[in-house]
Amino acid sequence: MRIIVILGRVLDPRGIVVNPRAGRIFINREEYLLQPADRCALELALRIKEASGAEVVALPRTFLPDDDVLRQALATGADRAVYIAGKPTALPDDGLMARVLVAAVEKLGGADLILTGATTLDTGQGQLGPRLAEALGWPQILGAWTAEVADGAVRAVRQDGTGYVKVEAPLPAVVTVVPGALKPRYPDGRRLINIYKGVGEIAAALERWEATGLVAPEALVPMLERRGQDFPPERERGTRLSGTPEEVARAAADALRARLPR
Amino acid sequence: MDASFLDLLMAQQEEVTEAEGGGGIWVVADVVDGTIAPVTLEAIGAARNLAGSLGAYVYAVLLGDGVSGLATTLYQAGADGVHVADHPALASFAVEPYLEVLLNLFQAEGPEVILFGATPQGQELAPRVAQRLGGGLIEHAVAMTLDEATRTVQAAVPIYGGQYFEILACPQARPQVLTVEPGAFPAPFMDPYRKGEPKSIEVAPAEPRVRVLGPAEDFTPPPVPLAQAPVVVAAGRQAGDFGLVEQLAAALGGRVAGDRGARDAGWIGPEQIVDIRGVTVAPKVYVAVGIRGDTFHNAAIDDARFILAIHPDPTAPIFKVADLCIEADPKEVLPALLTTLGK
Repeated sequence: MRIIVILGRVLDPRGIVVNPRAGRIFINREEYLLQPADRCALELALRIKEASGAEVVALPRTFLPDDDVLRQALATGADRAVYIAGKPTALPDDGLMARVLVAAVEKLGGADLILTGATTLDTGQGQLGPRLAEALGWPQILGAWTAEVADGAVRAVRQDGTGYVKVEAPLPAVVTVVPGALKPRYPDGRRLINIYKGVGEIAAALERWEATGLVAPEALVPMLERRGQDFPPERERGTRLSGTPEEVARAAADALRARLPR
Repeated sequence: MDASFLDLLMAQQEEVTEAEGGGGIWVVADVVDGTIAPVTLEAIGAARNLAGSLGAYVYAVLLGDGVSGLATTLYQAGADGVHVADHPALASFAVEPYLEVLLNLFQAEGPEVILFGATPQGQELAPRVAQRLGGGLIEHAVAMTLDEATRTVQAAVPIYGGQYFEILACPQARPQVLTVEPGAFPAPFMDPYRKGEPKSIEVAPAEPRVRVLGPAEDFTPPPVPLAQAPVVVAAGRQAGDFGLVEQLAAALGGRVAGDRGARDAGWIGPEQIVDIRGVTVAPKVYVAVGIRGDTFHNAAIDDARFILAIHPDPTAPIFKVADLCIEADPKEVLPALLTTLGK
């Protein structure tokens, strides 16, 4: 069985400061993290590998300027990783990447399961998984908390309107994993050093493919265009409520209801 | 004076005449508990604004079982045409049957823009529709404008949960598919005189490939760390009755925390102290009950999106960082707040 796990990176939000008044974003510390949901998808792939036996192949979610994300995946336990070289886009372009990744899956000789994050930390986009499912003609399970593979099917737990439900889809399938669903393991230090030093079998497990070798040049035209930035109005702090306890409670309850996560 | 003839006259004037010939802005309706979801009506309102500049018609698609009667609501919200797929196979949402209906319809009609709600249904369907039709997809749109020269929709999407917005467009790809964030657009004026004749879509039901096996009774989701909790209700020395704080946290679906005063009072454990020496939080909602707000505490809640503070001392430093301030004894306000939230 082959599991493909698709991984991306995100600028650590703790390193950025947004100044709405100046209309600028200041990057104080440029540090990248593995997308939290993708990290959970990698953890799920490794758990399925340990339970059922599988080859785990890591592919990038976007055209990355470096292969750190894939090296981390190899050090964490992936068997193989493919860095796909292409022109990085200003923002993740899942429509473009779906074409490239479908070609990469075919070049790998197919897969039984594709795992990726259900949403990205920065843009909140969750379209890559379903786009791949559609392009490959596979079923999809979005927003899984956990999953297992048995008898030619993947069984997952996901949340619906009423609570958590078990769902099943025949393989091959695409499963996206919610951030925080699993406690991800850390990369193995020795494997990480070997990968960066280019020592041992693990270093040879990282391949490099050119995007132009996978799809026609016209398929590499970005679908998304960035047209600018906007900032929320500056926060007004210190609004005081006055009145009887019932009156202030009503006003506070209305304000809370408007801001509670849905 | 009997004005019923005016109603009749207006009803005649507002009869919607539907255009033929494809294109247009299409809104795929979400039906929740037998009614049209508010996000669908908001999307129709947003579509109407775009349609004015685009010179296009607004169509709605309604899928489900026994939903034909809901078409009236879509007309009243501003749809120029409503297409209804009413079939027992569409009674509960499943990707394949819904997708089959939508793809057949859109391949025949050639829409220019398709809007979905950014709901679980929309998030399952929109990427698959975009992929099959070769369209671009912008998710979680909170504002939309039109680049009239290229007939391209420009949408603002929140980054890092809304710290700022990127304005995106799909100028080359058609159709332009967008998911609309619930609550981001105003609800449209519901015109009771608008009506039309919905078109029925023939349904050849596809078999769902994902099977629901039943409730996952043995599954418990992992606990959310306090630092990542979306709602935090924190107590301080002036909270008075800690039981009320716990009740408020339960009512808001949040986590209980506190400052060092709450720890000293024995209400919380050391892992629940919100302080830059303890846990730094960044929730969507932070309620500080009886917390005075020293520098260490206030720095630890700096990334909270909305802060409500309740404290009897008007000079408490927490009021300098809170969005909404209540100068009162928490013991008086919390019961009223719990009663109001329970309604």
